[in-house]
Amino acid sequence: MANGAKLTSKSHKGSPMMRQYEALLLTVPEITGDEAKHLETQLDKAIKTGTGSTISFERWGKYRLAYEINKSDYGVFFLMRFELPQGTKTVADIKTLLKVKLNNVVMRDMISVLDPKHPLTYQRPRSLEEAPAREADSFSKDAKMPGFFSMDDRDEIDED
Amino acid sequence: MTKKIKLKISARLVKKRSRRGNGNRSKMCRFCSDKEQVYGIDYKNATFLKGFLTERGKILPSRISGACARHQRVISQEIRKSRVMALLPYSGPAF
Repeated sequence: MANGAKLTSKSHKGSPMMRQYEALLLTVPEITGDEAKHLETQLDKAIKTGTGSTISFERWGKYRLAYEINKSDYGVFFLMRFELPQGTKTVADIKTLLKVKLNNVVMRDMISVLDPKHPLTYQRPRSLEEAPAREADSFSKDAKMPGFFSMDDRDEIDED
Repeated sequence: MTKKIKLKISARLVKKRSRRGNGNRSKMCRFCSDKEQVYGIDYKNATFLKGFLTERGKILPSRISGACARHQRVISQEIRKSRVMALLPYSGPAF
């Protein structure tokens, strides 16, 4: 038992065993580039104080939310992956940082431990920025409603 | 002249038997048969998890989703996590 506990807390080389984490952040839709950068640096600082390192910081884009949060239907998602040594209280500190200091920017957050057996690739829903914009005219053609939006056809109907 | 044979089995019983024949096929959990698909059950993958919700946003029971108890638990846990992040709804649109 003691041997097993030793293995989990420390690696063979003597350095502390690292654990990978993932934080999904839902921020306000009006977030600017500077604010996003500030968010990243604040989190990076907190991770570095816990002798960890940031693996990635991704911006997913703007999304329409499933329900209204803080009177807004939209939100911007960020995914951050980082690693920290096992047994530190840094995760709790990061949670406090998100809930207290960055409260005006971050609406929701979820920090989870990554399973080392699982692949790092992931699927995510398509954001509003990636979705192809459809024109009103193409919509009317698809729905077999010619002349619903175009003014030329409307004139013809008036003449009849 | 052909003699009429009296049917001993009632129509209800015939129906019941045919139903048993179709429905007796054992359902295989698709996540047990394909380990790759288990990685797809993730709270970030809302488009995939949407398939396990009803129109009103309720989680489908395992008898409909076809998942075993273990994977049904994983699915429902991930859906609940996804709801917190507003990727999936708690309830569907009101009528």
